[in-house]
Amino acid sequence: MNTFLLSLTVLSAGGLFSLLSYRLFSLMKAGYIFITAIGSLIGLYAIWAPLQGGPSVSFSSTWLHLFTLSFSLDSLSAFFLIPVFTICPLAALYSFHYMDNAEHCGRIAVNYFFLTLLIISMALVATADNIISFALAWESMSLSSFFLVMHEYQKSSTRKAGYIYFIFAHVGAMFIFAAFALAYSYTGSYDLLSFSAMPDSIKVVVFFLALVGFGSKAGIFPLHIWLPHAHPAAPSNISAVMSGVMIKIGIYGVFRLYASLSTTSLILGETILTLGILSGILGVVYALGKHDLKKLLAYHSVENIGIILIGAGVGMIGLAKGNMAMASFGLAGSLLHVLNHSIFKSLLFLGAGAVLQKTGIRHIDQLGGLMKSMPVTGKTFLIGSVSISGLPPFNGFVSEFLIYYGAFLGLTLTGSSFIFAMFAILSLAIIGGLAAACFSKVVGVVFLGEPRTEKTAAAEEAGCTVTLPMILLAAACLFIGIFPEPFILTVFQALTNITTLHSVGTDEIIVVAGNLAFISRLFLGVFILSMLLQKILYLKKEITRGPTWGCGYTQPTVKMQYTGTSYAMSIVDFFRPFVSIRTNYSGINRIFPGRTTYESHVDDIAESTLTDRIVSPLLYLLGKLRWIQHGHIQLYIGYIIVTIVVLLFFI
Amino acid sequence: METYLTLIIAIVGAPLFPGIILKVKAFFAGKQGPPLLIKYFTLLKLLRKGSVYSTSTSFVFRLGPVVSLASALVVLFFFPFAGSRPLFSFHGDVIVLFYLMGIGRFFTVIAALDTASPFEGMGAAREVFFSTIAEVTIFTILILFYRLNGSLSFAEYFTGENAIALSHASGALLLFVIVALFMVLLTENSRVPVDDPATHLELTMIHEVMILDHSGPDLALIELGSFYKLFFYSSFITHIIYPFTFASGILNELIFYVILATVYVAIGVTESIMARVKMDLVPKFILTSFALVFFATILTMGVLQ
Repeated sequence: MNTFLLSLTVLSAGGLFSLLSYRLFSLMKAGYIFITAIGSLIGLYAIWAPLQGGPSVSFSSTWLHLFTLSFSLDSLSAFFLIPVFTICPLAALYSFHYMDNAEHCGRIAVNYFFLTLLIISMALVATADNIISFALAWESMSLSSFFLVMHEYQKSSTRKAGYIYFIFAHVGAMFIFAAFALAYSYTGSYDLLSFSAMPDSIKVVVFFLALVGFGSKAGIFPLHIWLPHAHPAAPSNISAVMSGVMIKIGIYGVFRLYASLSTTSLILGETILTLGILSGILGVVYALGKHDLKKLLAYHSVENIGIILIGAGVGMIGLAKGNMAMASFGLAGSLLHVLNHSIFKSLLFLGAGAVLQKTGIRHIDQLGGLMKSMPVTGKTFLIGSVSISGLPPFNGFVSEFLIYYGAFLGLTLTGSSFIFAMFAILSLAIIGGLAAACFSKVVGVVFLGEPRTEKTAAAEEAGCTVTLPMILLAAACLFIGIFPEPFILTVFQALTNITTLHSVGTDEIIVVAGNLAFISRLFLGVFILSMLLQKILYLKKEITRGPTWGCGYTQPTVKMQYTGTSYAMSIVDFFRPFVSIRTNYSGINRIFPGRTTYESHVDDIAESTLTDRIVSPLLYLLGKLRWIQHGHIQLYIGYIIVTIVVLLFFI
Repeated sequence: METYLTLIIAIVGAPLFPGIILKVKAFFAGKQGPPLLIKYFTLLKLLRKGSVYSTSTSFVFRLGPVVSLASALVVLFFFPFAGSRPLFSFHGDVIVLFYLMGIGRFFTVIAALDTASPFEGMGAAREVFFSTIAEVTIFTILILFYRLNGSLSFAEYFTGENAIALSHASGALLLFVIVALFMVLLTENSRVPVDDPATHLELTMIHEVMILDHSGPDLALIELGSFYKLFFYSSFITHIIYPFTFASGILNELIFYVILATVYVAIGVTESIMARVKMDLVPKFILTSFALVFFATILTMGVLQ
């Protein structure tokens, strides 16, 4: 634990360094990045032993003479700390060329400080061992990320996004605290491990209460509303950390609570699976309908959280039914997807940030042809896109395969569990297809074809500290895809903390992982051979270049290219009434039509329902009570006295 | 030995069978039609040519044909043609293989988008939409097969004691599968009534329009990949229709290729007697196939308990 604490100390030194040296802009950035990298490396070293199945280490101290803050680092915590200690320093490195406006040096220093605070609090949440330390770390995580979202606070859209995030984070936290309070009232202990002593019915209530809180952090449908607001508002390196790492801490909460409760109620698995299917399918459908690149990626986070929950749900159903093979592979796939998603989603957000920085355009239908002007960003984004679509031989497929494998093993169950396993498989298939559709759209419209606007045509490659993290992350995507064995074994090591799970033997895991590795390498081999074949076939052949075949039309313009909106419309339309599409078409109504316009918006039903059914009536109701607030201080004091008097009657 | 032989026959012979479709269509039209070996001639012709690349394209455009061919080839390595042992096989390979076809499609689609042509974008949008729905049917079939004999690889499906075959106890359910799989075959291989490979109007095409700008050896690679894909789907149906359990390999081969040719004839007949459906009815067509196999899968809940 000492090395772990040392790493946190080094990290916090980095945060303080940035605050102290903010006037020396480049030095501040370089120093911060260096110290953060050192701190993260020490952190990785600290989690190495627990990841390999070493004994868990713990640390505790008293706070306010009343509470004990205790932390412990076991293999499950260590697993969730991998993204924390790998993605965060890469995001910090990325910021060197990304945040290059020296006039904002003070603000950037504050941003660095809160990033450090976020890293430390995430590390503490993942190691917290009792209610008090968990709640404290959770709060500081929410608050520090709130300040990170508010980086460009002058924009009203950013402030709106920040407040939405703030509300969701705190309503969620309220539910978590309610769950903890309920648990405490039954166990009388702050220790998370003591949760297993509660009666089964209370365990279910605690789980569902906390699930609301964890779900609002992780972005489970319908609590995902803050994601598509906060991610576009935050700087891209922060979006990468929040989407790649922070929302996974919500998933960590679900896993940790599930392990602590050591319950095997069927209803938990069924709920998690249903939420996963909903988040997964609707997340990707909404993503298809979005035009803002970062908003689209934010909805993909909802989708991937859905996949993670499908895996977790399959695993929990397997546990409830005593089908341990199903449980092992479902939970393993879910955990591995946490790691995989943190890699490719931060890669994609960093790529989106590079595009945004060089073109200043968020709307994908105004981009295009960036593969030629930004080759490194384009290629790494392509790799990220293939990975997130869950296609072999990249990492996204490895975890999806494990979930499939678990779900197929669950098909031998009878009754409702069979139906659930079947829907898990079918929804994974739909999600996979739609994700491929969505990312072929993004890659095709943003990076391929011809630039649609002059700003896009003038784009050039981003700086080296922007591209280096993306190259590393893209390499990681391919590496995990081709060498999945050690990662799968690490995941199974992390699962040993779920005591109700009697995992399948290592032999079986190695066989499955080996097969997966084999077919990935086989495909890669055949692919390289086909490349060679293509090269050979083109030897001594005449290659000419000309314009794209316009099907007889001789005056093509770049505006004629298929847009992302049209590309996705038929698919989005298929999913009505779960999505509402608003279109605004000026129409053609004269012989010589003037300028015609067409606009479409795809609305999130969760958001519109929340606005129409909850927020608006609430505002109306509270508006009626506004007379209470009149500005007379003496009457306010009167309220306090009356309240105290009323409360005294209850004592 | 038999493994390699059947695989080589499949790899070399796949371009022969689409010729059957053309012959059948010519027969219905009262024409003589092109020779059976027409596809070989086409491939040879393409291989002799050079290429014209659009100035809009990048390296992705050249990657498309390679990935689609590689993914189609790998699928053949895992398929037990005529009941022989496949080159490779493991429990769970079907999931990987259908996803590998997915990566082939992904690259075909982005290669199409790379040309900046509105027609190719249109084709790409349709391709991803329809194949997503078709994928659901495929996975429902996999679920049904898992329920029937607990296996998750092509080799396990069609070899061994408990092989999946029309003549076995639950064969009635497989009738649904055959019809559904035939519909998926028509969809995934861009045949009538989903797509018309012979049309000359770019606006109405799906797969053909995506490869408008490919030429020369690149086009040959794409064509070869699509022959393999069609060959795989037809063999899949063939194996469900008939289990190849004879001791003699040659007899198996013979029956296999006869039934396989029949499947191609069926495609030709379908193309001759049907018009393509309206574009917005295609999802319904594919969902019909899903409904069929989903029904069969639900039936297993009662049958096996």
